[in-house]
Amino acid sequence: MDVKSKGLVNSLLPRLAVAQYVPTPILAKAGPLLASLKIGPPAMQAALSGLFSPQAGEATVPFLKMISTWVLNARRAAKQGKKVFLVPFNFPCEIIHAFEGAEPLTSEVLSTFGVVALPEQGEEYWDMAMALGLPDHMCSANTIELGSMLGSADFKPQAIISSAPGGCDVNSKIHEFVAHYLDIPHFFLQKPPDDGGRGRAQYNVYMRGLIRRLEDFIGEKLSEDRLRSVLTKANRCTELYYELFDLQKAVPCPVPNIFSLFLYGVRFTMWGTDEGIKALEAMVKVSRERLARKAYPAEKEIARCVWAYTSYYYDLYGLFGWMEEKGYSHLGDGLDLFFPRMVDTSSMDSMIEGLAESAWNMPMTRQVGAESMSRSWTEDVIWAARELNADCVIYCGHHSCKQTWSVVSILREELMDRLGMPILILQGDSWIKRMTPMSVLQEEIDEFVKNVVAKKSTPKRSLKKRRQKRMEEMDS
Amino acid sequence: MEDVLRQSAVLQNELVKGWKEKGGKVVGYTCTATPVEVLEAAGLLPYRIRALGSSETEMADARLSRFNCSFCRSCLQLGLNGSYDFLDGMIETNGCDHLRGMIENWERAKGFGFFHYLKVPHVVDEDSIPYFVEELRIYKRAVEDHFDQAISDEALWDRIQARDRIGGKLRAIYDLREREKPGITGAEALSVFLWATAVPSQALEDALDSIIEQRKDHRIENCRARLLLGGAATDEVDFVREIESLGALVVTDALCYGARAFMPRIESSPGGDPFKAMAESYFEKLLCPRMFDDFASRRDFVFKAVKRAKVDGVVLVHNKFCDVHGVDNVALRMALEKAGVPVLQLEKEYGAKADLGRMRTRFQAFLERIEGD
Amino acid sequence: MYAGIDIGSLTAEALLIGDGGIVGHEIMSVLPNPVDSAREVMGRLLKGKGLDWKDIEYSVSTGYGREKIQKEGLAQENLSEISCHGFGAFNLDRQVRTIVDIGGQDAKVIKVDGKGKLENFVMNDKCAAGTGHFLEAMSRALDVGLAELGPLALRSKKPLEMSNRCTIYVETEVIHYLQRGAAREDVAAGITQAMAERVVSLAKRVVPQNRVMITGGVAKNEAVKKALERALGMAIVYPGLDPQLIGAYGAAVFARGKGGGS
Repeated sequence: MDVKSKGLVNSLLPRLAVAQYVPTPILAKAGPLLASLKIGPPAMQAALSGLFSPQAGEATVPFLKMISTWVLNARRAAKQGKKVFLVPFNFPCEIIHAFEGAEPLTSEVLSTFGVVALPEQGEEYWDMAMALGLPDHMCSANTIELGSMLGSADFKPQAIISSAPGGCDVNSKIHEFVAHYLDIPHFFLQKPPDDGGRGRAQYNVYMRGLIRRLEDFIGEKLSEDRLRSVLTKANRCTELYYELFDLQKAVPCPVPNIFSLFLYGVRFTMWGTDEGIKALEAMVKVSRERLARKAYPAEKEIARCVWAYTSYYYDLYGLFGWMEEKGYSHLGDGLDLFFPRMVDTSSMDSMIEGLAESAWNMPMTRQVGAESMSRSWTEDVIWAARELNADCVIYCGHHSCKQTWSVVSILREELMDRLGMPILILQGDSWIKRMTPMSVLQEEIDEFVKNVVAKKSTPKRSLKKRRQKRMEEMDS
Repeated sequence: MEDVLRQSAVLQNELVKGWKEKGGKVVGYTCTATPVEVLEAAGLLPYRIRALGSSETEMADARLSRFNCSFCRSCLQLGLNGSYDFLDGMIETNGCDHLRGMIENWERAKGFGFFHYLKVPHVVDEDSIPYFVEELRIYKRAVEDHFDQAISDEALWDRIQARDRIGGKLRAIYDLREREKPGITGAEALSVFLWATAVPSQALEDALDSIIEQRKDHRIENCRARLLLGGAATDEVDFVREIESLGALVVTDALCYGARAFMPRIESSPGGDPFKAMAESYFEKLLCPRMFDDFASRRDFVFKAVKRAKVDGVVLVHNKFCDVHGVDNVALRMALEKAGVPVLQLEKEYGAKADLGRMRTRFQAFLERIEGD
Repeated sequence: MYAGIDIGSLTAEALLIGDGGIVGHEIMSVLPNPVDSAREVMGRLLKGKGLDWKDIEYSVSTGYGREKIQKEGLAQENLSEISCHGFGAFNLDRQVRTIVDIGGQDAKVIKVDGKGKLENFVMNDKCAAGTGHFLEAMSRALDVGLAELGPLALRSKKPLEMSNRCTIYVETEVIHYLQRGAAREDVAAGITQAMAERVVSLAKRVVPQNRVMITGGVAKNEAVKKALERALGMAIVYPGLDPQLIGAYGAAVFARGKGGGS
């Protein structure tokens, strides 16, 4: 262990404290200003320009404040003797928010912020995991943060929850390894790969079993009132999710590209909290205003792209900002496809069933964790591509995503057969810049859009008309 | 013995051919968590998918990617190029992401005469055991329905007992292998186990008896080092042969095509619920890194084998991109090294002859390292 | 007289020792067949010293084709290059416990115990980054001779950061830097830094211990050694012998032990 390295979370703290304590109006001015001055290392410039893009407007600050509250709450909780759970992104964090004595920290989101905000972009923590001999085909999304826990004086959670068994081997295995290595308790929410009623019923059983075990570990009975309060807020988040999704359908897309990341950033950390609601409300507000102003960052919207699984995060400006300037709308990626439902908060039973439903629909779990690895994923991507009036699909080709890599050929065939839509299959590491440079990815996207995506001039239609058309379709 | 070694190196061995000629049906499966008793009780021949070291993946690569395990790509290749056309059905389990992808692409490209997906939970607890027991009943009904053959509890118990006997005989072969002067090499043993997952059980029982008889007085002298081979799903006899060509002997293993497939099995007494008995053997005692919350039992299994077979070193191997073994091998290596057992951890490409040369240098250095310790 | 023959991917080495120490050594580029390489390089050495094959009491082969060389009767025994590098380095400096060996197509980190016996090792022979091949490709991109790359890098005051890992992309990055008018020494220093980081990430797997020695052809590049020291946070010593000869030396010392010499 490198005791000189304070670790990813500890290194993020001063930056998060700035986001937390600097008043919103000042932060809202300072961020874009710093981004425009183009000072500091290129990685920092890309992060600032990506996060504080002019399109994102006033949504960036509430989002950053939400992230900082999330991490700082967990730090505070640990100091107060509460339990901090390390959870993967596909775990519905609202369960932990509903406990008084616990806070969730999501490994993939921490990795992402390490990659976005730290000078070394988290690579030294990846190297710490590699130094233990872990294979280089691990997923950097979680291995960066977990490498930091394994190899530095980083904070250690009191327990780990895995909800990836059934959805992703590599995610499940690295969490298991860390729990074993650090000798901390490990809880599971396994996913039966069974889309039928039996699978769903069993998932409910697993959810109840998990809650029972968490109650024992935290030493606190899950309170019906607290749960209701959290889920009522989660329901508000759900409303905002669909509002944003509807806005995304408009041509040209009024939703800034970076909101794809912001949206699941909320889902994976503070869903069901006031801060989460504030961040989502700001995103909806910005998008609505842009729709009203018919604002679009480029002269023309040239291509509407749905990303099939993840995006690239080591250079936010290089991907999201660059696409925007080119007139390529990023209509969200697979991680945005979690289709939340309104939870019935009338009883404890209905709420727990609602939680199980939410967990079932978390990204990855819902798609490649389904009975068929390809079917549910393909259906979701095709549905999103159709609903969002996309011209093409882009698969990021994150190296370690063995499940999506296993069936991306099926997705490609289905997209072509059913929508006549092309897919660009990229290759790289979504979190580590040294695998495929952003310039290479940009070139491939550019070539693909220019040569393969035959842009049909999409007629502008008002949302009202689109909704009306959908109602008619549903009636028929 | 010679015949078994020869027959284990082909996909459609003579016994499978004979079975088919008599109108018998053969059903493939990929994973040790598949209770073959259900297939046997329906008069079917269970056949475990293997790739026999074939490194050709051209057709498979058009479907799976280069980020998928090369063993699964090799199996898919054989499925796509018609080598497995003798199968009348396939039982899929959610063994790992690569296996799932392999079967899904295979089914899409060619389809199976009969297909059933047996869902195996990843954690053993009071919630998952009843689920898996019911899953086995669903599996039985699917086999009954498709092949129009009722499966009675008595027939299942008969097969469970046969499998217990076979497990006992395979353990006897392990005894030959693990003793001070082994009666069988690691490469031979792996061939026998591979063959054992591809033949009718009566013929298998007879052959195992004969092998045990033939080798009980055989003594392999001058072994340079006694090794345990553990890790990824591998059926590469050449890989074991390469290690042994340097004078070492693989005297025991923790492979899923080897000891892990039958060693942890529970021997049950007939009379109770056969599905519960099978759930216990195939799920509760399943030793595979695709299972969670039970690293300790996998580690203990290796430690026991190290002690039992008095090994000098452990070779842990995984195919590139195999996450479940890739990670588990690190934790196992750490535990073994802490206990003072030398470990060689390797990542390799399945079946690649070029890779064997690279491996050979490491094997040799490892032997030089443990010699004289 | 005891002999060590080491056939690598690019060069072949032969070394002779007697009870008193090194008698002579020879290095040449490899021939297509390792047995021919062995015969040629040892032949040249013997001829230069006025000796004959029959003067060799015991010979050990190592490296690529080591088994074939033994089969052809040019050596009584063969040992892996991993053991030979470890043993050779240790016999040159008894304080050495870790050996970083970077050759043309592979990199190894070897640990030995207080008797020079192989304790642990880790090897990269799949990824070009972190091997001599990488430096060759980069020196071509920089349009300098391989031997000049090190001195050039040492002149840099502000090494550039290579943000990529893959040889192909680093090459593109190098060209990109040059097109933007970056100083060649800074690019060269960035290259050596990238290479060192790759090797150190390998080295960490065996937890390096003092004293560390660098061997192999790449050891001749002092900039790489310095970059390795920085990345490792440990001092690295040179062998008191051409770093390319360590494998052959280890084999020869081993042969002397086996042959009854002292």
